[in-house]
Amino acid sequence: MPYSELFKDHFANPRNAGEIADADAAAEQSNPVCGDRLKLTLRITDGRIEQARFLAYGCAPTLACGSVLTEMLEGLTLEEAAQITRARIVSALGGLPARKNHAAALAVETLHAALSKL
Amino acid sequence: MRRVYLDNSATTPVDPRVVEAMLPFLTEKFGNPSSVHFYGQEARAAVDRARRELAALVGARPNEIVFLSGGTEANNLAIRGLCEHNRQHGRHVVTSAIEHSSVRGICDALERRGWEITRLPVYENGIVRTTDVRAALRDDTVLVTVMLANNEIGTLQPVADIGALVRERRAAGQRHLWLHTDAVQALGRMSVDVEQLGCDLLSMSAHKLNAPKGVGALYVRRGTRLAPQNVGGHQERERRGGTEAVPFIVAFGEAARLARAELDERVARMRRLRERFESGVEECVADVVFNGDRESRLPNISNISFRYIEGEGLLINLDMQGVAVSTGSACSSGSLEPSPVIRALGRDDELARGSIRFSLGKDTTGEEIAYVLEALPRAVSNLRRLSPLYQKALAERACFNA
Repeated sequence: MPYSELFKDHFANPRNAGEIADADAAAEQSNPVCGDRLKLTLRITDGRIEQARFLAYGCAPTLACGSVLTEMLEGLTLEEAAQITRARIVSALGGLPARKNHAAALAVETLHAALSKL
Repeated sequence: MRRVYLDNSATTPVDPRVVEAMLPFLTEKFGNPSSVHFYGQEARAAVDRARRELAALVGARPNEIVFLSGGTEANNLAIRGLCEHNRQHGRHVVTSAIEHSSVRGICDALERRGWEITRLPVYENGIVRTTDVRAALRDDTVLVTVMLANNEIGTLQPVADIGALVRERRAAGQRHLWLHTDAVQALGRMSVDVEQLGCDLLSMSAHKLNAPKGVGALYVRRGTRLAPQNVGGHQERERRGGTEAVPFIVAFGEAARLARAELDERVARMRRLRERFESGVEECVADVVFNGDRESRLPNISNISFRYIEGEGLLINLDMQGVAVSTGSACSSGSLEPSPVIRALGRDDELARGSIRFSLGKDTTGEEIAYVLEALPRAVSNLRRLSPLYQKALAERACFNA
């Protein structure tokens, strides 16, 4: 399955790349099998995610998932953010090849790790 | 969009002169070489001409060339064919840790059937040591199979030295010992001579030589007996049953003729452009590691690991800029382990995952290299900007410098 235009756009022009220096929540997770890494930092004001930044090492889907996740997160309440699923990330990217679903799993896992520290 | 193809070790475009030579054999000269009539004899003569061209390219006799479907089949006929035929003499094979996946797969299959396989290491330079081969040989060894040039890093293996060793063992009484080499990547990119190498079997593929996919050849030294793997036909002197793929064989013959005539020129050109490429990379990209011996390697391959980033991301970024390359990253192959070849050099997982193979072709131009040297630093810095490993290294460097 070829990558969608949405996917390529996120990969070519990643949104919210970087790190928030004094973040309210942060997590870095890696996929122990393939070594992909995702780092997520969040600024939270009054229970809402005001800003989300990501860094990623890994295959193209891992980078694109980081980008699309931060885009989805900004403006959400913490409760809403906790509801984000793998499937939502995959569909926001216009689909992923089945063997690349682990990239969306890593994104959700990193998000949960960041939220659990609050 | 501008497109530059730097994946010639995966496959090459068919040379227009080769297309021209093969076309009549799809239409008016369509005969079956086994037929006795005019059409058949016309096709037979063309196959024989092609056989002479292949033989001339590798310094063999025409009747030592067997046409088949490609490199993988050549490796199957060579290794399985030889081992099956000689199993009463021993069940031990010596090979290297960096063989092409077809040779690796065949050896793994033999192992499951009770054969013993010794896989020799390569060192940091990506080259097998002849002394290791000598130490690995046993009285029940029937085959040594070591590639002539590696497909990922291009390193040349000491096949001529191994050939001398095998002949020495034979002279000392070990009559049932043979040498096979996979020359798929080497053909047309260096001079290949079966006498100089001292090999008994040598695998070749047409589509790495600017001829079509679907045809290859195996050199079988006179007197070397193989159990055929494709039975039920008398073709290729009973060594490979099945109607000859006449148009493709003609194309392979023409590509071999051209490769022989133009070899020196092609090699000099590819080497010059590869050097320009590598010095350009060294100049404009930091934190890179060149994989494989810088001297003893094919003139067209450059394999580079880019620290802090992953190969598949880099490949896709380059592809979006029109540059086609390949990677040893596990992500792109669908396996979980990064390139066993890069790992065999003693590189860590991160470097193995960040390795990219740039492989030039006979028609690669200086302008194309210049374009890649613009696209590559852009791609690398885009990905490093996103990489937590790179940001961490930057922070550590800042601390160190403070």
